[in-house]
Amino acid sequence: MTRSEKGRHHERHDPHWVEWLTGILSAILVIGMLGWIGWETVTREATPPDLTVRVLTTERTTAGYRVAFDIYNTATTTAAAVTVVGRLAEGGRVIEENHVIFDYVAAESKSAGALLFENDPAGRTLDIRPAGYTEP
Amino acid sequence: MTDRAADAENHVGRFLTGLGRGVASALFLALPMLMTMEMWYLGFYITRERLLLLLVVNIPLLILLSHRIGFEETFTWRESVRDATIAYGIGILTSLLVLAALGLLRGDMPASELLGKVALQSVPASIGAMLGRSQLGRGMSEDDDGTETPYHSELLLMATGALFVSLNIAPTEETMVLAYKMTAWHALAVIVLSILVMHGFVYAVSFIGGHELQPETPWWHAFVRFTLPGYVVALAVSVFTLWVFESFGNSSAVEMLHSVIVLGFPASLGASAARLIL
Repeated sequence: MTRSEKGRHHERHDPHWVEWLTGILSAILVIGMLGWIGWETVTREATPPDLTVRVLTTERTTAGYRVAFDIYNTATTTAAAVTVVGRLAEGGRVIEENHVIFDYVAAESKSAGALLFENDPAGRTLDIRPAGYTEP
Repeated sequence: MTDRAADAENHVGRFLTGLGRGVASALFLALPMLMTMEMWYLGFYITRERLLLLLVVNIPLLILLSHRIGFEETFTWRESVRDATIAYGIGILTSLLVLAALGLLRGDMPASELLGKVALQSVPASIGAMLGRSQLGRGMSEDDDGTETPYHSELLLMATGALFVSLNIAPTEETMVLAYKMTAWHALAVIVLSILVMHGFVYAVSFIGGHELQPETPWWHAFVRFTLPGYVVALAVSVFTLWVFESFGNSSAVEMLHSVIVLGFPASLGASAARLIL
């Protein structure tokens, strides 16, 4: 408990045991968090962004086709302005090319996005790959 | 004029002054958020369940604040609830007014977007309205002689301060960018800095409203009983606001922890400021 007098507050010398329990639990949480981060400083080496794309589904939309995909960053550094290019090819000739930019793909994380095509990707060769990034 | 009529008029006058102060401080304290682009966008893309949760969580915090510093001196919880309702009302009206004046609400927008924008802004604006009396009105010194704050109220006051500051900073892109840029060493430094500043703010630098220990109490008593729980409260509020604003996305646990630590820094300052001001 805290006693307030004339604008100053005085902590009581004989607190309830709940205050100590809360304090000790908080200390355990904070020390746990420091331990976790401390562990990261020792074990986590900074590796440049490593990006891979996994195509999920192709669906018809009103005006064409939507290809949904996840992009994974397996490295311990975040990539910014990640450009993903999708090329739709038929018989070795590119008939449609689209791209999308992700603001961020966080370290050891994934982001989801989609590319939109006018032509049906079914029966054609679809190649979706990350084309570049900047450091955040 | 009879004494009773004069008394009633005086009462109405003080109530209107209180309302005026509420609107003024809602404007003053919520304007940074009303003029933040991310907050407008959140108004339409924030999940409705999370928005509802934020709006509901705000109610007990407002009631507690009102019990401490309401528009008028409130003695019963019923009066606190009434004043909290008024503050929420002021928050909604102020947000509506300012957003409309800034041209952010237009007739051709879907109703859910209009509602979302105003509802989201009404949370900081209502806390701002409630803080009006303590910030812009008369000081606390004359009416809080000898009051005792129960431990759970002290923690809830810290949560309110942390929430208010978090709402300012959590929606911005900078929180995530800082988390992405920082290494584990930076994270450690921010944690230590947050805790030190938090303890120093309340106990060391002798602000008005600062806290003192009795001479026989060792310093680490207050550190364990108030500063560490306060920091955990600030981190919990940071997790809550980041989750409400969907800033976590599909990030890994380490990245999430980094963003919580980044936001925990201003949130812990907000928590200790609440202990000083309220």
